[in-house]
Formats: sequence, C-alpha cells, structure tokens
Amino acid sequence: MSLREVIISTTRRVPAIPTAAARVSTLLQNRDVKISTLSRAIEHDPALAANVLRMANSVYFSGPRTVGSIKEAIMRLGTSRVSGLTLASAIAPLAGVAIKGYDLKPGDLWQHSVSAAVCVDQLIETLALEAPDYTFTAALLHDIGKIVLGTFVDVDAALIMELAFKEGVSFEEAEMRVLGISHPEVGAILLESWNLPKFVVDAVRWHQQPDEYEGDTEQMIIDLVHAADALSMVGGIGTGSDGLNYRVSKLVAERLGLNNAIAETVVLKMISGLEEVKELFGEDWGR
Amino acid sequence: MNHVIGISEMKVSNKPGDALVTYSLGSCVGVTLYDPIAGVGALLHSMLPLSKIDRRKAEARPFMFVDTGVTQMLQTVFDLGAQRSRLIVKVAGCASLLDDKKLFKIGERNYTVLRKILWKNNILITAEDVGGTISRTMHLYMADGRTTIKSGGNEKVLA
Repeated sequence: MSLREVIISTTRRVPAIPTAAARVSTLLQNRDVKISTLSRAIEHDPALAANVLRMANSVYFSGPRTVGSIKEAIMRLGTSRVSGLTLASAIAPLAGVAIKGYDLKPGDLWQHSVSAAVCVDQLIETLALEAPDYTFTAALLHDIGKIVLGTFVDVDAALIMELAFKEGVSFEEAEMRVLGISHPEVGAILLESWNLPKFVVDAVRWHQQPDEYEGDTEQMIIDLVHAADALSMVGGIGTGSDGLNYRVSKLVAERLGLNNAIAETVVLKMISGLEEVKELFGEDWGR
Repeated sequence: MNHVIGISEMKVSNKPGDALVTYSLGSCVGVTLYDPIAGVGALLHSMLPLSKIDRRKAEARPFMFVDTGVTQMLQTVFDLGAQRSRLIVKVAGCASLLDDKKLFKIGERNYTVLRKILWKNNILITAEDVGGTISRTMHLYMADGRTTIKSGGNEKVLA
C-alpha cells in the first residue's frame, strides 16, 4: 500500500460527526429545506442545540437581540448560517486539539477556521458580492484535513520543511510531493465521508489550487475560500509551522476585485468580527 | 509571570520575573522595547500599518496600527522611566504569503511604517527577524531583556 493509500484509509476511519450534525449536512444538500425540518434535526441533540444557540447569540451573528430557540435562530440568521454553526459546533472538539506536524497548539486550528469563515463574510460584504451563504461553511472547514494529515507531516517534517522553506515550494505542494496527498484533498475526502454537499467539498479540495478547478461548483466560492484563508494567514490567526508558505493566486484577486488596500480593510473587519464572536472560542481567543 | 499579548495589544512591565509573549505573528509586526538600566520593557503586536484606514478604531484600539501603536508604546515606557538613548529595540514578523506579484503587502508596509516612526524618534532597531513566509512567536524576558523567536518548533535568541 502506498503512503497515499494509507493516509486515505486513515481518513476514512476518522469518527463520524454527531448524528444530528450529519443529518443537517444532508439537509444542506437541499437548498429549500423547511425551517421546521432543520430545527427538529438540530434539536434532536440537545447538547448540540444548546451550543448552536450559544454561538448564534454572539454579537457577530445576532447583534444585541437574544435568540431564544433554534427556530428563531433559523428565521433570523437563515438556514445556511445555522447549518454552518451546527457543523462548527460538531467539529469544534476535533479542530480544538493540538495538531502535530503543523505545530498547532490546542485551539489554533479552530481559531484559523473561524477567522477564515468570518473573513469570507467580510470579503463578501466589502466587495459587494452575491455569494451563497454556505460559503461560510466551506471556509470554516477548509483546513479540516490537517487533523488527519498532521501525524504524517510530523514523520516527514524535515523533508517537507526543506522543500517548503528552502526551495520555495508551497506547503501543500510539498505535502503532495513527500506524502502523495495534500491536506486540502484529505479534507475533501473527510467531508465526503461526512456527507457534506459537493460544493463545500469542492471548495475545500481546491482552495489552494483555485485556478485548476474545473467543475460545476461556482468558481466564486472557491476563490472566496482561497482569499479568506490567505488573509487569515496574513493575520497570523492559528498559523503553525506551515506559516504563510502558500501561493496566493493573482487570478483570484482579479476575479474578486481584491487589491492590497481592500485586503487591509477586510483584515481590519475580520479582526473586529472575531472580537464579536468570542462565544466560539471560550476564554482562549487571541492567546 | 507570563503575560500574553494578543493581536492589537501592548503590555509593559518593570518586574524582573515577568515574561511577555505574543503568538503567531504572520504579516503583523511584533516590537519589543527594553531599557536595561530602568528595567522597563514592553511588547507590541500590531496588525496594520496606518491608522488613517479607520480613525475611530484607532482611538479605541491604538495598538492595532503600527503608527499609533508604536507612538503610544514609546510614551508608555518613557512614563515608566525608560530613556530613548538606552532603548534596545527588537522587531519580528512582517511575513508574507508566497506572493510574486505582491498582491498583499501588509507585512512589508508594517515594516516600512515602523522604520519611519522609529527614525522620526531617533531610535534604531537593535535586531530583527522579519519577512519570509514563516509565522513567529516572540518572547521578552524582563530579567535580562533577552528576546527569543520561535518558529516551527525552533527557538533562537534575537541579538
């Protein structure tokens, strides 16, 4: 078995997400899902529902008004946003641990995930784009492959680091060359096994190679996740030993209408947004 | 005691037992000031170069921006007895993505603005570890003013 095959089979053995979250992922496939159906699916798991409500009540999502129930949260924030928060709540324990290989402390990957999701919101708003709401979910999950690949990166760290930092190869390309697979691809395989919609899987799979994507998912979603990931790294939020060693696509910047001045505005709004979303982090934000 | 400086924060100390630390400097800039005679030190973690991008934000969070952040940081250490001529200044961060076309220049601009402000204040940088594509953690130990940089599991003294 090649190393690539070993990694893929390891990915398939990652524990499934809670049933309620999996049910929500399936419902997310249908964009016209009924509010009552979605709220029942979330309320099926009271702990999950409580967590979703806690997040929905952060200033960032609902302002000063309190949201009392899942149904109200869906009406106020929309189905996509609440589905995103449900998935966030389900993956938080997985993304909250220390990750070897990338030298991530507990909470780092989680902060990076949330900052990319908040950044996507700010990019959409600042650039006045008409992007689907689930882009938030795709940004939130973009680096989830690191939870599996970290162990393998750790074993071959010297070789990967050499390629990345001495030869100027982007980190995911170095993973590809040494391990036969990169963390975006591992992430896509993981999300597929959790039954996430194809457009989320595609955005995660191609977020580091946005210009190579050929498929049905809207290019804008992939571009937004690419740019949001880039600006979260610029902000240094939850970055590890891979640092900022990723290529930024000029074509994405052109397609989105993004330049350095706009990037500074978006980074500013991202940092401010993260301060309003502290409920997602507990006490550890910025630490 | 260990004091953590978050993004857009600055902390000052005059206790020899203290260590100041800031994690994950990406394109952000980390600055340490230390006066060995006064025993005063400070660490700043700024995100963006210029406060003119959002004046209101700059009033509420001056340390978010290099221009307002460094100015206020200098004032704070002077108030505690530090002297300009004795200041040891160390700088880290200002990294960038692999970005041949220079699409995002935040790291570079942070560094340029920092140099300009220190120049205007007649202060020179003693040592620095800036640029590249790495993310850095910066420590300042108040006992002796030692500044260390950690990146990807490697740690070195910045001197």
